[in-house]
Amino acid sequence: MVNIQYSMGKYYLLAILATVLAFAVTASASAQNPTDSIKQLHEVTVTSKQPVRTIATSQTLSGADLQALSTTSVADALKYFAGVQIKDYGGLGGLKTINVRSLGAQHVGVYVDGIRLTNAQNGTVDLGKFSLSSMETVSLYNANRLDYCQSASEYASGATVYLQTKRPTHDSLSVQLRNASFHTWMAKVNGQFNWKGWQGFVDGEYCTSRGDYPFRYHSEYEDTVGRRANSDIRYGRVEAALFKGGFSSHIYYYDSERGCPGGIVRRLSDKYTNVGREWDRDFFVQASYQERFFKKVLFKANTKYANEYLRYCTDYPENQNTARVNNHYRQQDAYGALCAAYMPWDWLSLSSSYDIRYSILKADLKRFDDVKRVDQKLVFAAQMRWNGIQAAVSALHQRYSDWTFVHAGAADPIDKWTPAVSLAYTFYGITVRGWYKEIFRAPTLNDLYYTQVGNRNLKPEDTKQLNLGAEYHWNNKQWAVDVQADIYRNKIENRIVCLPLKGTYTWSMMNYGKTFCRGLNATLKGHYHTKQWNFSLLSSITWQRDVDRTDPTDEDMYDKPICYSPTFSSGITGIAGWRSLQFTTSYLYVGERMWSKADSEDILEPYHNIDMKLSYTHDIKKVSLGLCLEVCDVLDIQYEHIPRYPMPGRNYKITLSFGV
Amino acid sequence: MKRLLILFSLTLLYICDARAQEKIILLNEGMWQADNGRLSYFEDGSIVSNQWFRDRNGMKLGDTPNDIIQINDTLIAIAINWSNIVQFINPDGKVVAATEDIPNNRRLCSDGEYVYVTSYGHECETIEGTVYFDKGFVAKIDISTFKVVATCEVGYEPEGIALYEGRLFVANTGGYAFEEGHEFETTVSIINAGTMTVEKTIDTGVPNLYGEMSQSERYLCINSPGDYYEVPPCGLIFDCKKALNNEDCVVVFDYPATYNTTTLDGKFFAVGSSFSYLTGEYEFSQLTIDPKEMMETGGERGLSESLPGTLKADFMNMNQPYGIYVNPYTGYIYGTDAGSFEGAGYLYQWSPDGQLLGKHKVYINPGHFLALPPDGHFDGISPLTASTFGEGIEEAVYDLQGRRLPTRLLPQSGSMKRSGIYIKNGKKTLYNR
Repeated sequence: MVNIQYSMGKYYLLAILATVLAFAVTASASAQNPTDSIKQLHEVTVTSKQPVRTIATSQTLSGADLQALSTTSVADALKYFAGVQIKDYGGLGGLKTINVRSLGAQHVGVYVDGIRLTNAQNGTVDLGKFSLSSMETVSLYNANRLDYCQSASEYASGATVYLQTKRPTHDSLSVQLRNASFHTWMAKVNGQFNWKGWQGFVDGEYCTSRGDYPFRYHSEYEDTVGRRANSDIRYGRVEAALFKGGFSSHIYYYDSERGCPGGIVRRLSDKYTNVGREWDRDFFVQASYQERFFKKVLFKANTKYANEYLRYCTDYPENQNTARVNNHYRQQDAYGALCAAYMPWDWLSLSSSYDIRYSILKADLKRFDDVKRVDQKLVFAAQMRWNGIQAAVSALHQRYSDWTFVHAGAADPIDKWTPAVSLAYTFYGITVRGWYKEIFRAPTLNDLYYTQVGNRNLKPEDTKQLNLGAEYHWNNKQWAVDVQADIYRNKIENRIVCLPLKGTYTWSMMNYGKTFCRGLNATLKGHYHTKQWNFSLLSSITWQRDVDRTDPTDEDMYDKPICYSPTFSSGITGIAGWRSLQFTTSYLYVGERMWSKADSEDILEPYHNIDMKLSYTHDIKKVSLGLCLEVCDVLDIQYEHIPRYPMPGRNYKITLSFGV
Repeated sequence: MKRLLILFSLTLLYICDARAQEKIILLNEGMWQADNGRLSYFEDGSIVSNQWFRDRNGMKLGDTPNDIIQINDTLIAIAINWSNIVQFINPDGKVVAATEDIPNNRRLCSDGEYVYVTSYGHECETIEGTVYFDKGFVAKIDISTFKVVATCEVGYEPEGIALYEGRLFVANTGGYAFEEGHEFETTVSIINAGTMTVEKTIDTGVPNLYGEMSQSERYLCINSPGDYYEVPPCGLIFDCKKALNNEDCVVVFDYPATYNTTTLDGKFFAVGSSFSYLTGEYEFSQLTIDPKEMMETGGERGLSESLPGTLKADFMNMNQPYGIYVNPYTGYIYGTDAGSFEGAGYLYQWSPDGQLLGKHKVYINPGHFLALPPDGHFDGISPLTASTFGEGIEEAVYDLQGRRLPTRLLPQSGSMKRSGIYIKNGKKTLYNR
């Protein structure tokens, strides 16, 4: 162990030295060409209406469009993006994760202001925990967001979701109160200021919901009606942010208690229903500083500390089926990153970044011991823009080392380079692009060390993505149109899955299987506005074929579609506004999905979901009053993302807001 | 008239010929919380239905069925674990009754009048009200009312259960709720089935007695998956008679017996595998165990690493073996492969000498079998006495659960204790003591 630590230390000392040296050298090469520094700074505040033409495949919802959607959390907004599949166990409290282009939820990195939200334990982020009210934009990048100066972590996921917090432009205070179906109450307070270049906000929210929605399963062989039990949630969230120029910081606290309902299965009565309860306390504080030196050098430093607590209990005595469990998990994360970019000419940028993250997981599981992980990343990247040609290359090195006294011992360190290449050409407003990216996800601490299930021999799950696409943008004073389309193919190898061990009654995490996915994503956005009217149309379609390529001799599985992966899905959102009255309708279609390959009957039916939202604000002197009515799932289709986990069906929300 | 008679005889002959000999109900566990437990019904070389319960009753079976037994000639019981239901059906698959009084039910056995159910749960609804337990328990269901008439607390998470000489033998695991504050159990609880009280608790010295448990008269074949860490999996032969006589009654052998079944000649077939986290490799075992020889020699002899015919090779080729069963009426051998993750499983059929006869697609996680008596058995009851019962002794005699009675227990040996209905020469016979 000491040996590994030593050699790792030596290796990364070199890496840090190289980065610092590169930074020092580039810094010392003083300014000569006074070029587009203003544009670069704009990259930090992505509020500019003019889309920055990028060679990355990206989709963004921002400002008014984002607030116009009928959404309660970030997960709700993301489902309108092409290529996104949502996994949702229903209700308000259910876990909500997203899967992009069938890579799997753990390949999706979620970043708040460029710093990754992590969960060393299971690698997925529950997007239900993040509110849109403090967000300016939500973006999805399929490969890398190609900024001039970004941290190595930002290169390290298969797909990246960027949440950009709002930078207030004026002082304000607003209060929102909401009542919604299924005994849901919510209160929200938001205060913002902008004073001598300092900007900041405080946002707090408290919500409680019984989530006891009715459901019905009706078919030729069953007619099950009931109310969802143990689907309640109570949460409080407080966050604050402070900005000045290149400095940004964010502090976040979330506390919740929720029921984790089980699948609706045959029961003779309601006597036994539930599955478990969960308590979460998440805290993080982060800061980032970016500065330009001598016009040619960009420097950024990120730092973050996160502390997460999770308690899981099975709910005895109502639930006689599970063991009496009362487990506590505590996770801490310390993170730091240094990035430097050097632009010798205005068409070329060279950058490097070094990230280090230290995680520690403690849990009172039997036969479990603290696990510590050091995760280091180093990236070298180059970008050029010249006469409509854009190109970017990057090489990322990641090293994961774990320490633990868990019985089986720590896994061997992972040490791996992965490349990414992008190329684009713009002519007559059309950009044609192609990119290729290899990336892996490291096994999470749960995958490796979880009692009975963990497997320390896991290899990383590798992905290879290839994408060809085009985008076009046109606008004048009243109109704006954006069209983009991409075709892609993804290969995943060494999938990390939990499999029953042959004939031993136990399950274990294993590297098993390959998948191959081909698909098409397209989006169309249109905006039209006059003095009093404004109209927006946002639409996306996804077609994809995601198949198993594990075992050519297995006729039942090989080349057959992957479970839960729809072939076709689409979404359309229309927003119409007149003065301060606004009406939004969102339509989402998700095609049929298999949930097992055992029987052709094991499908999740295709579904259509329509949400409507009507809002009106009225200003009386300096006070603005708002009223908002929402109807979700207008058609009352209780579709399922997971079999036997019905979604709530038609529900209503009414929100009052006051602002000064 | 003559022609008509010939035609009639031919038709009769055809009907006789067409009578099913191999009738197997197969329990597909389905996936946890997906409410897709299913029955497959297999008859003479082909699957009749992979959703037999639904076909017969217009409703679903429930979530994660775990065991199926025959109680008497008109009743079959199924333990549906995650649905907390003990479901009673008749041999045609039609629903008779269901109870949810025994939550987290696991395995079943019966003496023809009562059904005994093991449960990991900690409460049970009985005719005298709700009873609570710290550990696991056994419930006794009266099939005339389908109510729990008595319970008995045993060790943590009791699994396999068998009946011998009026006693219930219950294998305790203690491994399911491993996050609770108790260790693995190593014991077999012996309960007086009449009074439902624990008479004795035998410490086998082996942890986690989990999984399939087969019975061959006085012998039990029990599996231990080990503690999944230091203690490797193994198998046990347990001698019920010796246990009752306070003699050493356990022989441990170094192979897991994850899936096991009783053969027509009173031996056990066992299929097992162990996975090593250190090497990432599986070790498979296919065993034929002669429990008598094994017990007599203290484990020196009585175990051979073989199965009849092509069984061993066929099991090795399976993706994920999930069960083995010998039809107690005919000797035909069955095995299941749970197949790939998310996919359908397969039922294999072999002749009694182990020649593979066919492979049939069933449903997810096919794990538990019940053979119905061949058709000829339901053509009436002929009353017999001890003297006439002995005629044609070369034919095997079965009880209604399909368990073959050993020769020395037959009426003419004078030791047959119970009056009742038995199956002999393909006929149901009533024995009056």
